Amino acid sequence: MRALPVTTLACLVVPAACGRGGNAGSARPPGHASLVYYETYDPRSLDPALSTDVPTGEMVALAYDGLTQFDPDGKLLPALADRWTISRGGGGGGGGGGGGSLRYVFHLRAGVRFHDGTRLTPAAVRQSMLRVLAPGTRGGRAWPLYPIAGTEAYAAGRASDVTGIQLLGDSAVAFDLAEPLAIFPKFLAMPVAAVVPAPLPPQADLGQHPVGTGPWRFVSWQHDDYLVFARNPDYWGGPPAADTLTVRIIPEPLTRAAEFEAGRLSVMEVPFGETTRWRQQHPDLLLEKPALRVVYVALNNRRGPLRDARVRQAINYAVNVPEVLASVYGGRGILARGAIPPGLAGSDTTRPGYHYDTVAAKRLLAAAGYGSGIALQLWRNTSNVELARVAQAVQAQLEPVGIKIELVERDASSQREAARKGETDMVVLDWWADYPDGDNFLYPLFYSGSVGPGGNYAFYVDPVTDSLILRARRTTDDAARSALYREIDARVYRAAPWLYLWFPTDLWAKRPDVRGWDVPVIFNGQHWTGARRAP
Amino acid sequence: MIPLLARRLLLTLPTLLGVLVVAFLLLNVAPGDPVTAMVGERADSATIARLRAELRLDDPLPTQFIHYVGAVVRGDLGRSYITQRPIAQDLRERFPRTAELALAAMTLAAVSGISLGVVSAVRPGGLVDRIGMLVSYVGVSFPVYWVGLLLILVFALALRWLPPSGSGGLAALVLPAVTLGMRSIAFLARMTRAAMLEVLSSDFIRTARAKGLPERAVVLRHGFRTALVPVITVLGLDTGNYLTGSVLTETIFGWPGLGRYVLTAIDKRDLPAIQGSILFMSVVFVVVNLVTDLLYAKADPRIAYD
Repeated sequence: MRALPVTTLACLVVPAACGRGGNAGSARPPGHASLVYYETYDPRSLDPALSTDVPTGEMVALAYDGLTQFDPDGKLLPALADRWTISRGGGGGGGGGGGGSLRYVFHLRAGVRFHDGTRLTPAAVRQSMLRVLAPGTRGGRAWPLYPIAGTEAYAAGRASDVTGIQLLGDSAVAFDLAEPLAIFPKFLAMPVAAVVPAPLPPQADLGQHPVGTGPWRFVSWQHDDYLVFARNPDYWGGPPAADTLTVRIIPEPLTRAAEFEAGRLSVMEVPFGETTRWRQQHPDLLLEKPALRVVYVALNNRRGPLRDARVRQAINYAVNVPEVLASVYGGRGILARGAIPPGLAGSDTTRPGYHYDTVAAKRLLAAAGYGSGIALQLWRNTSNVELARVAQAVQAQLEPVGIKIELVERDASSQREAARKGETDMVVLDWWADYPDGDNFLYPLFYSGSVGPGGNYAFYVDPVTDSLILRARRTTDDAARSALYREIDARVYRAAPWLYLWFPTDLWAKRPDVRGWDVPVIFNGQHWTGARRAP
Repeated sequence: MIPLLARRLLLTLPTLLGVLVVAFLLLNVAPGDPVTAMVGERADSATIARLRAELRLDDPLPTQFIHYVGAVVRGDLGRSYITQRPIAQDLRERFPRTAELALAAMTLAAVSGISLGVVSAVRPGGLVDRIGMLVSYVGVSFPVYWVGLLLILVFALALRWLPPSGSGGLAALVLPAVTLGMRSIAFLARMTRAAMLEVLSSDFIRTARAKGLPERAVVLRHGFRTALVPVITVLGLDTGNYLTGSVLTETIFGWPGLGRYVLTAIDKRDLPAIQGSILFMSVVFVVVNLVTDLLYAKADPRIAYD
């Protein structure tokens, strides 16, 4: 579906439709105390154990809390635990492997109650995690809990209990990690680690009727249509400023824009294809923030000519990335000189690196023995229009240096399956942060244990990188860890396992009367507690 | 009538079994793995293997198929791999919304399309005919999403008469119904016009006129009724299509119907959801076709089933 020409043509036919509709009356204005957000598709479920995608994770973050949480800027904050302590060489630890283990003790906030009135207890924390891990839950995303000793054996059905989760009286819970992991508290802020009541009544269906401690109580859900939440007056962090939060399901970007312009959405992400129009017509409504996201082309380091680093480097020299960024993404991004987005410790966007230089590209190709040219396949999927256009631009840019690209177009599922099996030469992708840390852009993307389904679609394997990544994970000193991230990122960049493109910038529009809302850099960083509409 | 119904219904059983076999085989040879969508972007091979085993995806195909058909025969369409909700419940929620939209679109199309066709045929080449055929030409040619977005821009944004999207209430139904019905209006108008022109030039119409019947009675009672058969065919086909969901219209207007449900299920390779939907849609189609056949006999006494 071509977005831009449709709008442009419609603007010619009905000029008023494209004018400043911002302050006109809406068809059905929501009350002052209500806010309206949207998702692009129906959440999978409202059960934290099933939160594997963004819409589900965002909804879980409204109704539930974890022990920790992120704010809109991605900063880690206490949530159900008001503090935590770390000690080395803790007890327990079925898979501990000696004295290298690490114990985290999380002290629970006093007086917190679930929406059904039951009290938050350390047992509820433990039960919540066992529930996620239990075979038969079929959530598929228990990995944030795997650092806890004994969890993987439990998930695989080899153990009847998890040794690494201990209750300390009625106000604290201890986690013994199999190996030190400095970023573990960030893992606990992910939706899958949210805490649910225990014991759960046998008839409980958290997927349809969530019961958490979160700022918003669930009211109703019409599938594929909308969800309604009401403020939790007893929220431990103070009740939300607005009375209700409606989340509508609106798949089509141009429809979303129309809903926003009609005053029926509180905020909206501006579609990439519409960037210029919104910058010109509604500059006062826009909020802009660098996203924790990277756009890249994974080059399969195990396939054909791409095995040679010189060929991969040549590809990086051959593409005029700033031009592609400007033409396809409306300039909304910062050039990537590594994989770690700006805003995260360890990021370096000024690193000297590949620039547009077709002569250098040809020289590298010739040195690798491909002076007469090569033919490669570049995969793209039908559900991401912008990335599909990126693929087209890359194809055009590689042609002059003698790299002939055949575009392979599949639906997202088929593409992902092929990429995971290593059957793609090149595939255009974006990677969204699960947790705001440089590790999230190194361990899944470049660690040898993550090849395929783990996220390393470039099949990049380097023992030195591996050992550095593992060392960074064990390093508790923040400055030292950042330095390691930077070193790893630079090392991988030199090997060019990707065609590095850019870190996108999020552009949102906010209704003029909405206050207390900021663009979250991480999907579950916005809890809508401070947001309200000015009278 | 009753034996006819019973025989036709009995004949649908092999049809539906055929649908099940074809759908099952197609889904299993198509690339893409349901577990991939279940685990999200970052997963480990052990989890994927465990889920595949739990969902019996590693069983031989015939075993999987027998297992599935066994459940369907017992009335159990299974649960979605992705949402874990019962498929039957999902379909029960979506179908009334799809039916609401389909009914609105078909009513609109039948009333305006047929009227336009009849009026055009009465004076072929006249002003009404020319304008009517231009409108229907435009209606057939314009893509649904273009019409939908244009209607949103005009009626929701510029004029602010109707909500841009969503469901609930008559106001929200107007734009999607017009968008969905547009093609049918145009098609029905052209179909009716062609059929009417053919009928109106036949001998029995001349006889009707010769015996002094008023023109109104000639056109409507004698002409239109005979011209109805091909029109019923189009109505039946479009109704079947609309009742099984309309992906584009539902997507543009955020309408919570079957079309979007199936699209999401296909996107995520949610096998039970896709199979259940296909089976349900086949039943709808079979029923609509049966009703259409019965209507033929009503419209034209020369058509008889025995």
